[in-house]
Amino acid sequence: MTTTSVPAGSTTTPIGPPPPFDPELAAALAAMGDLLPRELTLDLIPAMRQPNPRMPRLSDDDLRRGGALELTERLVPGPQGAPDVSLLICRPAGVTTPLAAIYHIHGGGMIIGDNRTGLPPMLDWAEEFRLVVVSVGYRLAPETPHPGPVEDCYAGLAWTAAHSGELGIDPDRIVVAGGSAGGGLAAAVALMARDRGGPALAGQMLMCPMLDDRNDTPSAVQMAGLGVWDLAANHTGWTALLGEARGGPDVSPYAAPARATDLSGLPPAFIDVGSAETFRDEDVTYASRIWQAGGVAELHVWPGGFHGFAMVPQAALSQDAMAAQLSWLRRLLSD
Amino acid sequence: MKDLVVRLSALDPDAGAAVRVIAYFDQLVDARAGLATIVRGAAVLAGCPARLADRERGVDLRVGSDGRRGAPDGPPDPSWLSTPVAAGGSAVLWLERPGPAGPVEVLIDASAPPEARRHAARSLGLPESGLARAVALEGGGARIAPATDGRDQEPWNPGHGPGAAAIAPRAGVGTAVPVLSLPASWNAARTALRLTAEGTDEDPGPRVVYADEMGGLALLAGNVGPATPPIPDVLALEQAAAAAPWMLSTLYAVATTASLRAAAAALRVHHSTLQDRIVHAERLLGWPVREPQGQFRLHLTLVLHRLRHHPAESGT
Repeated sequence: MTTTSVPAGSTTTPIGPPPPFDPELAAALAAMGDLLPRELTLDLIPAMRQPNPRMPRLSDDDLRRGGALELTERLVPGPQGAPDVSLLICRPAGVTTPLAAIYHIHGGGMIIGDNRTGLPPMLDWAEEFRLVVVSVGYRLAPETPHPGPVEDCYAGLAWTAAHSGELGIDPDRIVVAGGSAGGGLAAAVALMARDRGGPALAGQMLMCPMLDDRNDTPSAVQMAGLGVWDLAANHTGWTALLGEARGGPDVSPYAAPARATDLSGLPPAFIDVGSAETFRDEDVTYASRIWQAGGVAELHVWPGGFHGFAMVPQAALSQDAMAAQLSWLRRLLSD
Repeated sequence: MKDLVVRLSALDPDAGAAVRVIAYFDQLVDARAGLATIVRGAAVLAGCPARLADRERGVDLRVGSDGRRGAPDGPPDPSWLSTPVAAGGSAVLWLERPGPAGPVEVLIDASAPPEARRHAARSLGLPESGLARAVALEGGGARIAPATDGRDQEPWNPGHGPGAAAIAPRAGVGTAVPVLSLPASWNAARTALRLTAEGTDEDPGPRVVYADEMGGLALLAGNVGPATPPIPDVLALEQAAAAAPWMLSTLYAVATTASLRAAAAALRVHHSTLQDRIVHAERLLGWPVREPQGQFRLHLTLVLHRLRHHPAESGT
């Protein structure tokens, strides 16, 4: 067994080799190969933001789902002194009664993506549960460091809750949801809503969330150089957001929710993550700390899953992971 | 698995994608992934449902193109792409889509480049200097058989594989030509197919027609189809056919045999029964069918009737 010494701040248990990828996911990961950058550094960010013909941006027609959903885009006031925030609103066509809503915060390591990134599963839920999806476009790092991105997300959430009547949304049934960096931002806005007396959220759905700027857990070390969004990429993302402060003593929990000392009084959480990814340990720890604080959380760790493995939707593990998300939402929203 | 991978890659014009597909399955096999995972990979990559059927082991697994498992709805269609999973084993992997253009389709396609046709001929083991026939099967199928100078033995029957049939399929057999001229043989075969019949009382006639033996009927076939207005003789034949179930088969026997004795034997009826039928038929048709001239007129009418009901099929 190879062992690696653990950086300061972590346990002293020896770290074993990386857990194996699920065979089906591993084959798909290898087949995707050049779709994903080998090594992500700050200077690659502009190239990563270029349109990729093999991952085309969703069109308006894609979002409308053959007329099942109505689409509107709103510019709403951003944080004090900052530009407006763009909200993409998808609503089941012809429904006038107030509906539950997913407030979606996209992923992309804090550095790429827009409010159409990662929307297809949200739109599946919109059709399945007849709910509204509001997806926020926030400013990206490094051009906009912390707290710009998370304050944009919070401003969009506060506006959505305040205008729920106009939007046909039931204000008691708003769930924040996001994957990866979006999951970290969703956890952060849940903390902000609690601390600022903001919208009362029905739930927080954190899909393989990016929570901890210290980037030194056993899983982060174990998976270095492997899979999707490894130690180096994570270092790049957090550095873009926090600059020199990354990993230091003065990082806000609204930037890195793992830094929060109090995880009580939060809405019910859904957290899922793969066992073979950087975020495994910080996500498991976050769920444990919610329980330790007396809160409600559901945690799924999918064996052999790499970061964002649901990008291979046909894989057996992905099908089960998506089914678990659906069943949590069903229980949450059908009270 | 290897054969499947090669076929999958043939569906994709992007060579880079083909390499990724092969690597994908290689890796699944190396990791000893389960059968369902491999079938799922086939379904998702091919963009159509895939099945694994193994009668000996009682396996019948179907995965949709979205990767979800479901129950098979009916037996596999023989026209789908399939490959045995292992030589000599009973497990067969199916993709629920017709096969891509194979060497047979390339050889009968006049627009295919000569080099592609040479390659296709080699893959079928046909020497470029040799003669071959194209065979048009009912339903649009095509076969190619090596030709000799004489009438070849059942060129429509490949003798193996899912197309092997106990009774001869309806087939038009093309002319014997050099392999690079097979598109011409194919055209002749399709014309010959229009002159075939079910071989039943309702549709009497030969199930297999050789283009070599069509003679002037080929010209007729080129000019008569469902849209051609029927001449009075054809209308009279169709009215007569509606009068008695034995009418068409009896007239076909009379038109194609050398004597009434031979016709009665072919129909397995007594000579006097045949005499009664002919009297009845002649009254309905309005012309005598026993003299050579009337017999020829009857035969021509039967052929025109057949062509009216067998449209030229859209080409391959």
